[in-house]
Amino acid sequence: MKILLVEDNEMNRDMLSRRLTRNGYEVVMATDGQQAVDMAASEKPDLILMDMSLPVIDGWEATRLVKAAPDTQDIPVIALTAHAMVEDKDKAMGAGCDDFDTKPVDIQRLIGKIRALTDGGGG
Amino acid sequence: MTKSVKRQLDASQEHSLLRATLENMAQGVAMYDAEHKLVTWNERFRLYLDMPDEFLGTDRTFSDYIRYLGDRGEFGDADIEEELKKRLALLETSHSFERVRPDGMVLEVRRDPIEGGGFIAIYTDITERKNAELALRKAKDDAESASKVKSAFLANMSHELRTPLNAIIGYSELLAEDARDRSDEAGLADLEKIRAAGKHLLGLINDILDLSKIEAGKMELYLERTPISSMLDEVKTLVAPLIEKNANVLVIECPDDIGSIRTDVTKLKQCLINLLGNAAKFTRAGTIILRVSRRRYGHGASTVNFDVVDSGIGMTDEQVSRLFQAFTQADSSTTRNFGGTGLGLTITRHFCAMMGGTIDVRSAPGQGSAFSIRLPDEEAEAAASVGRPHAKAAEEARAKSSVRVLVVDDDIVVHDVLSATLEREGYSLMHARDGAEALEIMRRTPPDVVTLDVDMPRVDGWSVLGTMKSDPQLAHIPVIMLTVLDDRNLGFSLGASEFMTKPVDRDRLLALLHKLAPAAGRAPVLIIDDDPDVRDLVKATVKTAGMASAEAVNGRLALQWLGENPPPALILLDLMMPEMDGFEFLEQVRDRADLVHVPIVVLTAKELTEPERIYLAEQTLLVLSKNGQPIRSLGPALLALAERGHAAPPVIAEEK
Repeated sequence: MKILLVEDNEMNRDMLSRRLTRNGYEVVMATDGQQAVDMAASEKPDLILMDMSLPVIDGWEATRLVKAAPDTQDIPVIALTAHAMVEDKDKAMGAGCDDFDTKPVDIQRLIGKIRALTDGGGG
Repeated sequence: MTKSVKRQLDASQEHSLLRATLENMAQGVAMYDAEHKLVTWNERFRLYLDMPDEFLGTDRTFSDYIRYLGDRGEFGDADIEEELKKRLALLETSHSFERVRPDGMVLEVRRDPIEGGGFIAIYTDITERKNAELALRKAKDDAESASKVKSAFLANMSHELRTPLNAIIGYSELLAEDARDRSDEAGLADLEKIRAAGKHLLGLINDILDLSKIEAGKMELYLERTPISSMLDEVKTLVAPLIEKNANVLVIECPDDIGSIRTDVTKLKQCLINLLGNAAKFTRAGTIILRVSRRRYGHGASTVNFDVVDSGIGMTDEQVSRLFQAFTQADSSTTRNFGGTGLGLTITRHFCAMMGGTIDVRSAPGQGSAFSIRLPDEEAEAAASVGRPHAKAAEEARAKSSVRVLVVDDDIVVHDVLSATLEREGYSLMHARDGAEALEIMRRTPPDVVTLDVDMPRVDGWSVLGTMKSDPQLAHIPVIMLTVLDDRNLGFSLGASEFMTKPVDRDRLLALLHKLAPAAGRAPVLIIDDDPDVRDLVKATVKTAGMASAEAVNGRLALQWLGENPPPALILLDLMMPEMDGFEFLEQVRDRADLVHVPIVVLTAKELTEPERIYLAEQTLLVLSKNGQPIRSLGPALLALAERGHAAPPVIAEEK
């Protein structure tokens, strides 16, 4: 199972990728929204974990682009944000995200959400 | 000079007097005769309309002037003949309107028919007043955007705080997993401390964010029916580490038939965890009791009480009085000894109020403390048994009173999903499978809101939207566009009110509907208060929450109102009023069967005595202090309470 992790913060990216790898996922990484859109098409991941505040183009826009392209629109996207406000969730869902989680990430909860969107599988 | 001569002015004098009066008026004046010919006018009229002298004359008619002004571009791009037709149609009656001239001058135009034919037109320059209004509106918008900036700042700050915290908690967990793999017990214990401290800090940030949200009026309520016992099991698991820490024992006393409660479960759990956590913090090697009970009032109405009793250090009266204030603990040294933000109880009290309930505390030094949360509930079984034989009548009543939503979509699944979601919330739905059918239905039975799919066969969503917005009968109906793709700009330019992408997010849809069709058809909130300022403030709060209101200045007039109108959704009652006070009002309405389901909330500045408090607890749903939280922050709570009343059946039948 391949996950595209989109995160501009180096520590968060390193940490989350190591924990996902430890749990048996193959992780590819993008550091900005444009790279995320490109890699969604080239890497064909099974799921995308998308930070929302990203450079170049932000996570909302990147999600919209992923969901607008016919060959990437079926890839589930989980929005990751540090904001816990209801409108942040609405905004993420409005952009086409399939689920939403807040940081700091609770790895077990996140894996639960990943499994729910990818029909089990994983590690 | 004789009297009669003195009273008479000759024609020329009369004329001069009229002239002088006209010319000294602060308004532009023009009089037209029965054939709409200009009879007389003053200089200000010429100035305000910027008419050349040679154009003004008695051979000109009203229509000539309008055409002249139109040709000069005074009505913008509007069709001149249309403008003229509109104005001529209005001349039969007194009317007034405002017009902005191309140079920015705002004119108030007032026309009154003159007896025997003709009419008089009066032009007032209201530019200054309009500018002042604009300035006021701008000041208001600025203030609102300042409050938005504050909320955004909080959200950002929480982001900035959480990002490094994310790294601290995450890396400590990673390292702990490594340490566990290496069986490095000492390292594991240290890492566990870092992780616990990080989690604690996260808890503090969350509390501060919660409180900011409450104060910004952004905390929302999600009501759902939940079995109480399973909720208690969860709470028990979550607080177990806190309880064990000081060698305490938790005893849960709950009758087997406690049933379920309709409330915001997440918030209720947070309240109970707060109280149990506090009890555990201030008690050592003692017993903490969580006692749950239900008190029934008949007709399915009841309250569920959650009492948290500890055998801890207790508090003095003075400490109790400051307990629910933000950032204060019983003693500032408490924070050092026992930790915590001091926000837990403040948040708990706000949550209880939002859920329509109350929280009380009894305590004495050395005697332990007892906190009681009392939440209103309407039992599902009771509601169902009453509802069945009256389902049809209730359905009809609901169709009459509730907000009508027309769902336009060619996908049958969307109809099913929206029916399930919206009908439960009290909306009545109409269904159309294509654009043509949609237009037909909305012309026959105008809905309050339309949800419109973009991609449909035959007539697509964009055409329906275009047709609606060009039809004066349909143009005002708000439209929520449902699209798979985001075509916001096209939609907004065509007049759509809101957008949602599919699949539909239920909470967002409900929020939008609520915003677009707030009070339509719903019973109002009855505000009973003798202070006009308080009434205005409450009225504004109620309006912001999307409800209509009615007012009465004392108990007697409130009874009169209740006698003449259908039951309101909610009664907000002041206690100290002239003629008939709140207590007498409660006595009077107690026996009225049609008001059994109307929630009464007391809003008072009075310091209540113990007997008064007990009496009000029995007679009303909730007592709020005017000196407590700001009235403006009560909106969501009032709405939740009113909706509870709204959902209740109006008449209770005795079944044998």
